[in-house]
Amino acid sequence: MDARKRILSIVDKRILILDGATGTELQRRGMPRGACPEQWCMENPRIIKSIHRDYMKAGSDIVYTCTFGANRIKLGQYGHLNARKINRKLAELAREAVGENILIAGDIGPTGRFVEPFGDLEFEDAVEIFKEQVRGLLDGGVDLFIIETQMDIQEARAALIAVKETCDRFTMVTMTYEEGGRTLNGTDPQSALVTLENLGADAVGCNCSTGPEGMIPYIEAMKPYARVPLVAKPNAGMPRLVNNMTVFDMEPKTFASFGKAFLKAGVNILGGCCGTRPDHIRALASVLEGKRPKPPRKRHISALSSPRKSLILGIGRPLVIIGERINPTGKKDFQKELIEGKTTTALRLAREQEAAGASLIDVNVGMPDIDETETVKKVICALSPLVSSPLVIDSASIDAIEMALRIYPGRAMVNSISGERQKIERLMPVARKYGAMFILLPLTDKELPATSRRRKEIIKDILESAKAAGFDRSDIVIDGLTMTVSASPGSAKETIDTIRWCTRTQKLLTVVGLSNISFGLPQRKWVNSAFLAMAVQAGLSLAIANPSNPELMAIKMASDVLTQRDKDAGAFISYFAANDNTSKQERATEKKGSPREDVYISILEGNREGIIECLDKAIAVGMDAYKLVNELMIPAIMEVGEKFDRKEYFLPQLIASAEAMKKGFEHLKPLLEENTSQDKGTILLATVKGDIHDIGKNIVALMLRNHGFNVIDLGKDVAKEEIIKAIKEYNPFIVGLSALMTTTMVNMRDVIDLANKNGLRRKFIVGGAVVTRAYADSIGALYAKDAVEAARIADRLRS
Amino acid sequence: MENSRYFYNIVITPPRDLIYARLGYRRGKTKIDHRQRQEIENTIEQALSIIELKGAAKRIQIEKNTGRKVILADGTDFDSNQLASMLGDSDEVLLMAATSGSRIMQAIRDDTNAGNLTRAVILDAVASEMTDKALDWISSFYRQELIRQGFGLTSRRYSAGYGDLDLKYQKAIYDSLGLNKLDVDITEAYILVPEKSVTAIAGIMKLA
Repeated sequence: MDARKRILSIVDKRILILDGATGTELQRRGMPRGACPEQWCMENPRIIKSIHRDYMKAGSDIVYTCTFGANRIKLGQYGHLNARKINRKLAELAREAVGENILIAGDIGPTGRFVEPFGDLEFEDAVEIFKEQVRGLLDGGVDLFIIETQMDIQEARAALIAVKETCDRFTMVTMTYEEGGRTLNGTDPQSALVTLENLGADAVGCNCSTGPEGMIPYIEAMKPYARVPLVAKPNAGMPRLVNNMTVFDMEPKTFASFGKAFLKAGVNILGGCCGTRPDHIRALASVLEGKRPKPPRKRHISALSSPRKSLILGIGRPLVIIGERINPTGKKDFQKELIEGKTTTALRLAREQEAAGASLIDVNVGMPDIDETETVKKVICALSPLVSSPLVIDSASIDAIEMALRIYPGRAMVNSISGERQKIERLMPVARKYGAMFILLPLTDKELPATSRRRKEIIKDILESAKAAGFDRSDIVIDGLTMTVSASPGSAKETIDTIRWCTRTQKLLTVVGLSNISFGLPQRKWVNSAFLAMAVQAGLSLAIANPSNPELMAIKMASDVLTQRDKDAGAFISYFAANDNTSKQERATEKKGSPREDVYISILEGNREGIIECLDKAIAVGMDAYKLVNELMIPAIMEVGEKFDRKEYFLPQLIASAEAMKKGFEHLKPLLEENTSQDKGTILLATVKGDIHDIGKNIVALMLRNHGFNVIDLGKDVAKEEIIKAIKEYNPFIVGLSALMTTTMVNMRDVIDLANKNGLRRKFIVGGAVVTRAYADSIGALYAKDAVEAARIADRLRS
Repeated sequence: MENSRYFYNIVITPPRDLIYARLGYRRGKTKIDHRQRQEIENTIEQALSIIELKGAAKRIQIEKNTGRKVILADGTDFDSNQLASMLGDSDEVLLMAATSGSRIMQAIRDDTNAGNLTRAVILDAVASEMTDKALDWISSFYRQELIRQGFGLTSRRYSAGYGDLDLKYQKAIYDSLGLNKLDVDITEAYILVPEKSVTAIAGIMKLA
C-alpha cells in the first residue's frame, strides 16, 4: 500500500500519531546549543536514529526527518552547501532507524527569509531552493512531505509548489500562529486552509508557538471548511521562565489530556513540537487509542482567500461585490503609471473599493504596448500585503493569468474561462494547478449565445471539460452574460433566466458584469440598479461593479434584506450607520438647536467644517462677535478642557475642538473691535536643540492661541542662542520649552541658565514625554503635563 | 556573528487599542460620537496606507558583561547597569530596528503645516504604535527561530535613551545594523530620521 493510501486509511479509523520534537530532544541528548542540527546528526547518527526509534516505539505512525533547516540558505549559514546530499543522508538515517514499519516524512522548514511580496527572496528562487531539498529527501526514500512551522503563507506556497512540481507524494503543511491567532505575516487559520488545500496540500494544520490548549481553537476554526485531514503539533505547553532559563515543562500526562479536546475539535493527525518527548507521544497515543476522529467534510465549498482574509461564497449568502475599478481602459493617467511600472493608483483603487464595500477586487492591467505578465506581477505584489480582499484575475492573456496565480499568496478567481478552445486547453489546466476558482463565460469560438437556452447548453459543455480537468462545481461561478439592452432589448431577460436556472436548477454560483447592461443609455445608474435588484431576486451571487456608487451599494444592501440573505438586517443597519449619505457639508450645517447652541456645540464637538456657517447664522440673527467669543466659544473650549481632564475626551477631540475654535476666531477677527482684542500677551515656544519631535509643542501652540495669547513658535531643534535672541526680540512673558528625549531634555537647563546670565528673567514652562515635575523644579521651570495645563498656567501667570 | 537581516515589508495587524490608548482614550470613560469615530478611523486608515514598515536585526555574541558594561563581539560596548542586568543570563544579544518610513513623516509635516493638527496627531500615533509593533514582529520572528536552537529571547528589550543607557549608543546600533540600507539616517544628536524609527536590544538566553 502506498503512503497516501496508508495515511488515509489510518485517518479513516483513528487519529494518526506523529512524532514529538526533534530539536529540543537532540539538545537533551547532547547536541550543543547553536550547533547545526543537520550536521550534528550526521556526525552522531546513533543519537538521531535513537530518537526516531523511540518515537516509533512510543506509537508514532510517522516520524519527521531531521531536515527542518536543511535548505540551501540555512545550511549556508553553517558553511554547508550540498543541501541535496545532506537531505538524502538524513532521510536514509531515518529509514535505517524505523525501517518500513512506519512512514517517514521529509521535513521542510522555513528558509529564515521572507518570500516576495513579503520579503526580498524571489518566489522562483524559493521554489528552486525547496526543490533541491525535495530531491534530496526523495533520494533518501521519504514516503511523504511535511512543510512545517511556516510563518509566511507565501513561503509555504513556494514549498508546496516545489513538492508538487517534483513528485506526487502526500504533503502536509502546518503553519505557526502567534498569540492572537495569526501567523507573523497576518494569515489566520481559515485563510491558510483555503489557500493551501486548494493548492494541493493533502493535510493542513498548525505546529509550534503554543501549547495544546492554545492550538485547539485553530483546529476548531478550520474544521467546518476542511476537506483535508487537520494536523496539530503543539509544544509541551507555553515556555516558562524558571531560574532564568526558559523551559517547556508540561508533563506527558497533562499534554495527553488535551487529546480528547483535539479530537472533539476535529483533529485527524496529532503529534508534539518543541519540548515534547517520546513519553508525551506515548501518553497521547494511549489516550487516543481506539478513538475515531471526525472525518474531513465531503462536500466542497466555494471559498477564496488573501493572505489576511478568506471569503466563503454561496447561494443564499449576501451578494458579493467585485470591485471593477483596477482597469486601465479609458484611464490615461493610470495607463501611464502602469507603463512606468508604478502601482500607486492600483493600490489606491483597491483600498478605496474595499472601504466602499467590495469583498473581492478585480485586477485587470491589460492594454496595448505593455508587458502584461510583468505588470500583473508587480501589481499583485503591491496589493497582496496591503489589500485584505481576495483578488480576481482578469485578463485575456493566459501567461499573465498564470503569473498572477503563481505569485498571489492566496486563492484567487480567474475572470474568465469560456468555451473557446485555447481557454479550455491552456487556461483551464493552469487555473486547476494553482487551485483557483474561475468565472465560466458561456460563449465559444464560434458563438456569442443570445438566448438562455443556448447559454445553458454551452455552460453544460464547459462544466464537463472542467470536471475532466479536476474542478468541482463549487470552484466555478457562471457569468450570466450581460448584453446591452439598448442594442438588444430582450437580453436582460435572457441573462436573468440564465441566472435563475443556474441558481435554482444547477445550484451554481452566478455573476454579472453589471454596467454592460446600460451602455448607450442616459442615467445609467438607474438601469444598473434596477437590473441588479432583478438579478438578485433571480439568485445572483456576485456582481462586478463599482462599489463607490452609493445607489448600487444601497440596492445591494436592501436586496440582501428582502431576499433574506441578510436575515436580521444586521449588515444593512451597520452599513447605513457607517455610510449615511448625508454629505460632509450637510452634516456640518445640520441644525442642532438655536444659532447660539449651534456655535457652542460646534466648538464642543470639534466641528471644523460647520463652525463658520454657525457663526454666520448667529451674526445674521444679530449676535455680537465679541459675545460669541466670550459667552460661547471660550466657555465651550473650557468645557472641552474639562472633558479632557476627566478623560471623557481624548487628544483628537481636544485638538479638533481647538481647531474649530481657531477657525471660528479667525473668521470673527475682522468683526472684533480693536480694544476687545484677545491678545493676552506673547509666549515664545521652541523644541530644544537636538530634538526634532515637535507635535506636542504644536498642540500647545494651538491651545495657547485659542486662549488669546500671541504665540511665537520657533520650531524644533532650536539652539539656546536663537531662543535668547528671540526673547530679546519679542519680549515674551512666558517661554515654553519642549523635549522628547532624555538626552535633549538637558538642553532646557542650558537655555534657562543662558537666559538668566543675560538678565532675561522670564517664566519658563517645560513639557514633553520624558520631562517630569521634579526635573522642571530642578531647573527652575514650571511643568505642564499637557497642552490644557500649559494654557491654564499661562492664564494664571497672566492674571 | 551573523550579518544584519533586513525585513523590507513587515505586515502587521494594526494595534488599534494601543493607537487609541496612545491618544488618551480610556475605555469606559472617553466618549466618541459617530462622526468623530469615523473621522479618526478614516485617518488611521490613511496612515496605514502610507506607512512602510521595514526592519533590521542581527545576533551578536556578548564578549563580556561586567555588570556595569556590556561588550559585544564586534567591539561595541554599552555602559549601562540596567542593560547589563537585563543581559545577565544572556551570551548573545539581538540588535533590532524598525521604521515606518518617510512618507508618513511627510504626511504629518504636511498636515501640521496646513493646520490640520488633529490629523497630524492621529497619523503620529499610528506611526509610533506601528513602529513599536514592528519590533514585536522582529522579536517573534527570532523567537521562533531561536527556540529550535535551544535559545529564547528575553521578554524585555532595552533602547538607547532609556534608563541609564545613553542615547549616544543609538549610533553604535545604527552602524552595526547598517540602517542606511533602510533609508534611515541618524543626526548628530543621535536621533533617527525618519523620526518614527526605533532601535532596541534584547538578550538571547539558553532554554533549559
